[in-house]
Order: sequence, then structure tokens, then C-alpha cells
Amino acid sequence: MRGTRQILLYAISLGIGLGLWEIYARSLPGIVLAPPSSVVVRMLQGLISGELAIALLGSLGALVVGYVLAIVVGVPLGFLIGRSKRVSEMAEPVMNAIYAVPPVAFVPFIIIWFGLFFEARVALVFLMAIFEIVVAVSAGAGNLDPGLIDVGRSFGASRRKMLRSVIVPAALPFVFAALRLGLVRAINGMITAELFLAAVNLGKVMKDAASRFDTAGLLTVILLLCLLGLVTQEGLKALEARLMPWHIRRQQ
Amino acid sequence: MKHQKWINHILGIIVALAAWELTGRAMGEALLAPASAVAREFYDMVLDGRMLAELIASLRQMLVGLALACLVGMPLGVLMGRSWLADTMLHPWLSMFIVTSVAALVPLLILLLGTDFWFRVAVVFIASVWYITLTSYQGARGVEPRWIDVGRSFGAGALRQFWKILLPALYPFLLAGARIGLVHAIRAMVVAEMFVIVGFGGLVHTAGLAISTAPLLALLMMLMMVGVAANALLKLAARHVAPWYEERASAAATH
Repeated sequence: MRGTRQILLYAISLGIGLGLWEIYARSLPGIVLAPPSSVVVRMLQGLISGELAIALLGSLGALVVGYVLAIVVGVPLGFLIGRSKRVSEMAEPVMNAIYAVPPVAFVPFIIIWFGLFFEARVALVFLMAIFEIVVAVSAGAGNLDPGLIDVGRSFGASRRKMLRSVIVPAALPFVFAALRLGLVRAINGMITAELFLAAVNLGKVMKDAASRFDTAGLLTVILLLCLLGLVTQEGLKALEARLMPWHIRRQQ
Repeated sequence: MKHQKWINHILGIIVALAAWELTGRAMGEALLAPASAVAREFYDMVLDGRMLAELIASLRQMLVGLALACLVGMPLGVLMGRSWLADTMLHPWLSMFIVTSVAALVPLLILLLGTDFWFRVAVVFIASVWYITLTSYQGARGVEPRWIDVGRSFGAGALRQFWKILLPALYPFLLAGARIGLVHAIRAMVVAEMFVIVGFGGLVHTAGLAISTAPLLALLMMLMMVGVAANALLKLAARHVAPWYEERASAAATH
């Protein structure tokens, strides 16, 4: 009952928002701001003709490589920092300081070290995602319930058994939270890299559209990125629900 | 106990600085200037005065955007947290905007607003308003229904309930929201300025073209200090306004 009402309200809310945008955009002189109807048409055209689809696939390459690298490095590093009180206290001021610097400010560095192309894009995605992951994982690892570990130890669990049956299941919720945060930042890094380094893929589509004053073209890419973000977030949430049904049940 | 923590903090900074100095010396100034060279450059830049002037001008514009974001985001978040209808109507927009990267919006905003004051304010606003909304929303949802019940049974009207019960319970979350918003606002400020090459972000861009990486790193150190200092200031404010709440609000901030 509540579920269907909720979906209905979502639809009404989106409808109102898009309607207002459509009316406002049409009231403006010329084509200062494209209305949503023409954005949707452009998006379908771009996907069918393949231009947008190819650009998206190209962009995803650097995203996947950078994000996977950030996970492989960031999750163990987060554990290492979080599990030792001394190390986490030592790392805290340094991480806070680096976290305060916007990753875009590292772009000149990335150009010096990695050039302008694929490696540089991977590096920016990696840099943007890894801090989010390390911070979230180390915070979670520091808060692991010591009771769980004591129980495992008093039942005589070996180190390996302990890791498999106690630590990993207890850690999964915050690791997933870290992965979700990291992914938003990784997508952010992907498009930032394509706009700030050599313009390619979706970034090139945006720059071309901007140079033609084509707001419909720009909004098409923005909408596509937004959908990419939403779909991947929901995908990770679904995976989380499958891997640890107990956690979801407890939340409800 | 408290002592040990500070010793570890300082130890950590020393280790990081030493590692930086050694790698910097091994790699050379073109790739990574060592900490000592950056410190000298930093000193010169502060004396020169241009860096600080640009920084203050940039921060002033950022604060306008951040203030607007607080003015809109805080009431919006509280409304969403207290009303099911508002929550359901606004949540799709919130989740949509939070996953959208600011950098992607920059070219559009340039077409709509040009590259002046309002463009930079708009970028900062868009980057921070959703995080402020989200934190206020989490705070407003977590307010104990019992407190409101107590207020009601003592005959407090809706307005009184809001001022005397809801708002004090929300202070720490509103401040945490401002703190998270600030981190995003600083990031957005640099993105916007590097894109159109003005202000402090413009200095970063130009420094990236120099042969030595020392000026670039000095500018990044400046950003670090601003971020850390602002963060500490807001934390101090939170402790002052609602000392009993510090733990809960900082827990909310990490989510």
C-alpha cells in the first residue's frame, strides 16, 4: 500500500519538476536552456546512432580500471590503518590534510607524471576514489564490535577461521558503504579527467556541445552521467542485499 | 591517554614529512619538490602577498555560495526529515543530484551564467547544498519522538516545540552539515576556478605549467591549511553549541 503510493508520488514529483523546467525553458528567448523534451530526444538519437554509446563505453574503460585499483589498494589499506589504534592516530592528521585538498588540484601533477591520456585518466579516478574508500573502511574497521572478536577467540578460532567467519562478515556493511561512496567519486573523477586533461569520449561530447552553445547536448551527457550513477548505486545495493541478507533485515 | 593521542598525531605528521622530503630529493624538483623546498617557496609566496589576496577573494565568493546553500539546504532537510510527503516528493531529486558530478555541470553553468561572480557562486551552491540537506535530513529524522511527546503533553504549541525541542536537537547536525558542505564547497571553488582560470584555482593551474613543482605544492599546502583550519573551527563551534552531542554528530558526518 505504502509502496505503490510512494512510487506514485515519485512519479508526480518528477513530473512536476520536469514540467516546470519545460515551461521555464520554453519561456526563455532563443535556446538559452534546452527543455527536457528535446534532451530526451537528443539522448535517444545519440544512443541509437551510436555516437553517445561509443563515447560512454570509452569513458567506462578508465573508470573501471581506476575504480578497481582503488578498491584493491584502498580496502586493505583502510583495514591496516583502522585495526591499529596507533597507526590510525598517526594517519589521522595526514589523511585529514590530504582530504581537504580537492582532487582537481592534483591535475597539474597528474599531467606531469602521467601525461594527458588513458593513464592520466585512470590516475585521477583512482585518486578521487581511494581517499573516500580508505577513510570509510578505516572508520568502520576501528569500530568493529570487540565482543564478536572475543567470542571467536574464546571458541578457539584459528586466525584464518577468525578472518573468514567473524571479521569479513562484520566488515561487509561498511566496506559496501565505502564502495558506494568511492564509486560516486570515481564517476566524478572520470568526467573531470575528460574535461581537464585531453578532451575525449563524453568529455569531448560536452566540450563540442559547449562550443556550439548547445545546452541540449550538454544536458544529455549530464543526464547520462546521472543515470550511470543511479544505476551503479542501485546495483551495489542489490549486491549488498544478496550477500548479506541479515544486515538488510536488521535495518528494517 | 589524551597525551598519547597527540604524540601519535605529531609523530604521524613527522613521518609523512620525512617520507615526502626523502622521495622529493630522490625524484627531483621537476617531479616532486621536497618538503623543505616547498616550505621556502611557501614563505616567499606569503611575503609576496598575491597568493593571499587571491585566496581571500576566492574564499569570499565561496562563502556566499555556501551561505546560500545553508539557507536553502537546512530548512529543506529538516522539512524532509519531519514530513513523509516532503521526503517522498524530494528524495528522487536529492539522490539524482548527489550522484551528479559538479565538473559535468560546469560547462552548462558557463553557458547559462558566464564566468563571473554568479557562476562561481552557483557552482559552490550546487556542490554543497545537497550534502547539507542530507545531513540535516538525517538529524531531523533521528529526533526522539518521546521528546516531542513530552513537549506536547506539557502543552507546547507547534512553534514552541520547534524552537525549544526540535531546533536544539538539530544544532549538531546542522553544524555537521555545514562542515561537510564546506569541504565540498572548497572543492567546487577550485574546480570552477581551474576551469575558467581565475582566482586561486587559476593560480594552481598556472603553477602547474612551471618547471619546478614547488609553487604548485605550496599552493596545495595553502589549501590544506584552509581546509583543516575551517574544519577545526566548525568542530569547535559544535562543541560550544551542543557539547553533549559531539559523538553522535561526528558519527553522522562519516556516513
